[in-house]
Amino acid sequence: MNDYFKIFNITKEYLSKLIAIAMSKGGDYADLFFEYSISNELSLLDHQVNAIGKDADYGVGIRVLKGEQTGYAYSESTAVKDMERAALAAAQIADTPSTSFLAPAFKEIKFVNRYPIISPWEDYALSDKIEFLNNLDTELFALDRRMVKVTERLTDSDTKVLFFNSSGDFFCDERPLASVGVSCIVSENDRIETISFSRSFRAGSEMLTDCLKKEVIDHIAERIPIAFEACQPKGGKMAVVMGAGGSGILLHEAIGHAFEADYNRKGTSIFCNKMGKKICSEKINVVDDATLQGNRGALNIDDEGIPGQKTYMVKDGILNSYLHDRISAKYYGVAPTGNGRRESFRFNPIPRMRATYMENGKCTAEDIIKSVKKGVYVDNFLNGQVEIGAGDFTFYVKSGYLIEKGHLTSPIKDINIIGNGPQALADILEVASDNRIDNSTWLCGKEQYCCVSCGMPTVLIKSLVVGGN
Amino acid sequence: MTFDKDIVAVALGICKECGIDDARITLLRGIENSVVVDNDRVDKLHQASSSSLYIQILVKQRYGAFSTNIMDPDVLRKFIRQAAESTAMLTIDECMVLPDKALYYRGGGADLKQYDSAIETLSSETRIETAMNIGREVIGTDRRLLSVEAEYGDSVDYVYMADTQGFVGESILSNFSISAECSIIGKGEEKPKEWWYEGSMFFDSLKKTGCGTMALERALRRLKPVKLRSGKYNAVIENSVASKMVAPIISALNGAALQQRNSFLIDSIGKNIFPAEMNLVDTPHLPGMMGSRYFDGEGVATRNMSIIERGVVNTYFINSYYGKKMGIKPTIEGPSLLKFAKDGDISGKELSLAAIIKSTERGILITGFNGGNSNSATGDFSYGVQGFYFEHGEIVHPIREMNITGNLIELWGNLLLIGDDPRDCMRWQIPTLSFGNCVFNGI
Repeated sequence: MNDYFKIFNITKEYLSKLIAIAMSKGGDYADLFFEYSISNELSLLDHQVNAIGKDADYGVGIRVLKGEQTGYAYSESTAVKDMERAALAAAQIADTPSTSFLAPAFKEIKFVNRYPIISPWEDYALSDKIEFLNNLDTELFALDRRMVKVTERLTDSDTKVLFFNSSGDFFCDERPLASVGVSCIVSENDRIETISFSRSFRAGSEMLTDCLKKEVIDHIAERIPIAFEACQPKGGKMAVVMGAGGSGILLHEAIGHAFEADYNRKGTSIFCNKMGKKICSEKINVVDDATLQGNRGALNIDDEGIPGQKTYMVKDGILNSYLHDRISAKYYGVAPTGNGRRESFRFNPIPRMRATYMENGKCTAEDIIKSVKKGVYVDNFLNGQVEIGAGDFTFYVKSGYLIEKGHLTSPIKDINIIGNGPQALADILEVASDNRIDNSTWLCGKEQYCCVSCGMPTVLIKSLVVGGN
Repeated sequence: MTFDKDIVAVALGICKECGIDDARITLLRGIENSVVVDNDRVDKLHQASSSSLYIQILVKQRYGAFSTNIMDPDVLRKFIRQAAESTAMLTIDECMVLPDKALYYRGGGADLKQYDSAIETLSSETRIETAMNIGREVIGTDRRLLSVEAEYGDSVDYVYMADTQGFVGESILSNFSISAECSIIGKGEEKPKEWWYEGSMFFDSLKKTGCGTMALERALRRLKPVKLRSGKYNAVIENSVASKMVAPIISALNGAALQQRNSFLIDSIGKNIFPAEMNLVDTPHLPGMMGSRYFDGEGVATRNMSIIERGVVNTYFINSYYGKKMGIKPTIEGPSLLKFAKDGDISGKELSLAAIIKSTERGILITGFNGGNSNSATGDFSYGVQGFYFEHGEIVHPIREMNITGNLIELWGNLLLIGDDPRDCMRWQIPTLSFGNCVFNGI
């Protein structure tokens, strides 16, 4: 912990003084979020590891709350004058005459470490990273004569956070995050297709295993022949089977955002009057979880000092909880759920998802596919979006299959699927017992970016609008 | 407004000390203020100033790109020394070079009129009042209005760039914007939401009224949506979102995409790929426009360029690296201020959104996109759409849960009209566009 004070060039006494300045205009609450982040990047292009990058980012965000109102300012310097200027700027949200505030004693918040680092990235030689990328490149080109281009990217970051608030809550946390991304261009008879794959974890260099390499190779190998057969299907409304894993994007877009409590507090979410009501089959349990060890969405403690936890958004088909930050929790009179997150010290925390997934049902994926006469099976996605108020969501399918008379038949690709969140949730007819967390590099944008993950067992949705010719 | 830029010379000096062959240092400074108003109450005040150094280095034909916001010279020295050491471990890439000096912007251009010094004296009260007025336009005007979230923001973006070949360039831009998002009571639990936005580089030119009203009108127009049958419809894409159908073309003309064969426009130079009515140009020196600039991220001078002329592809966007790699002459790393040039065949017609709808018998007016993507290698796309079904020049009803799916080259092959109504507040001046025979997926 002393290291953190040294990094940010502060003392406990000074933190107390700074929080008093932030509270000096009569704010109800204030917090200080110090952050120092080092990110490294290495990339391979045309068989050469030919570019390297590093970013150092340092600063403190100061937030003052007055009721539900927020004052926010940040400083990229921890020089006294800069921090105090930021504290005074944030304090302006409150408008009472200057008041004196005495910061309470420090209470260090205890939490479970969900991302213990076995091999710190700073101890991992650059030459070993280069070798990893080169070996992967060699193996990818050995896979198939149709491989034309491979680009690879290895990133790792280490973020150190120090937090103190006007209630005396204090913590330090070290947050690793690393990812491997591969993009392949394959060509046959003048037809060119792209295949991508990524994996991301809150982990040290121990994640760069042969097992990870095999996962990349197997995925690309499996997709090459399909890429040349796949085409956009005939579009329209039809049954959709969402395969285990990345299909969790359905939960993220169709309901996850609409369960974020800021939208509900403001009355603009389609779910704002549904708390405690049945919204789907009792077979369905949907979770937002910060406790998955090493997961991209894991959080020891959120960015406003609430320990990471597992939150049942939907329990036995009933809307059980929104995802709260401190403001919404106070508004609803419930405990915060640890979803107050921010992209960096430059942003104020707001309710955000972590790892969002559906728990297992009882049937099998095979039984679900067999039950569909005509529809699509999808399991590989690029991106999604939602309109919170109207509830309409979409996700873009990179690849999948047609389902005809209970069998997967022609491969499909490059289609958007659109539906309405509450309706789609109510239209989930079956849930399989094969839940899988997808460890791709999911990034969620809502005013600011946050790393998340998602998961899903295979499910059958009665009907969605499928893009196509 | 002036910024201290001495740190750039300090960084270049450190690069020399560290044995770095060539370097480009870019100082980015920013100042931001914003006020968010939730209905009739300030929800958030935000104030920030930022500063960062972007350090690109070449060490014996090896490339590294580094950035930091820690400006202390001693810390910077250690940071750059480590950067040089790690870069030296990479594979040699002979194409990694600074640009040909002859391509640099050499200064002397007229003022692009992108900075309003009024930003330096704007008071908090003015900012708050401007934000409050946005919502006041609509609060209490319609019982269906559930909430209005309004935002006023202003910013200064300063760039100073110098390299070891002697390039020096700087730019400063101010930006003022207001936006409004209105949520209304819809059917059942639905709360349709729509937004509107105005922006300007000058405070006095910022259109400060009408934004809230426009957002509410757009939200109310979305009541009682109808699910349409799948089929082929004409598509009219409103100017606020029409760049969605242009952006993939620009990406596909980028050197990185072409060299990596991740482009549906490989070997397209000189070929008649697009319809004869399509004339896309880059006009980077128009004063007072958001996208204008005299040099790109490498210091290469921008110039007026024809990108697509009468449907024929004229230009790739090639930076120094991909120029060497592909064995072709560099152009510019990307467009600055895109616009459609007038064409003799269609000039003289009124080409506002209303006129385009009127001249298109029936179809779907797209006013927003909901997700979707395009395949950069094939040009296949599929996007969720928001908008309206229209007939005989009149809006009939809003639509919902629909996708538009197709291929970009085929879509542009079915171009009907290019409007003359780009929004001044947008970087790319893309007007309303209309296309025939588009595949929409619905019920």
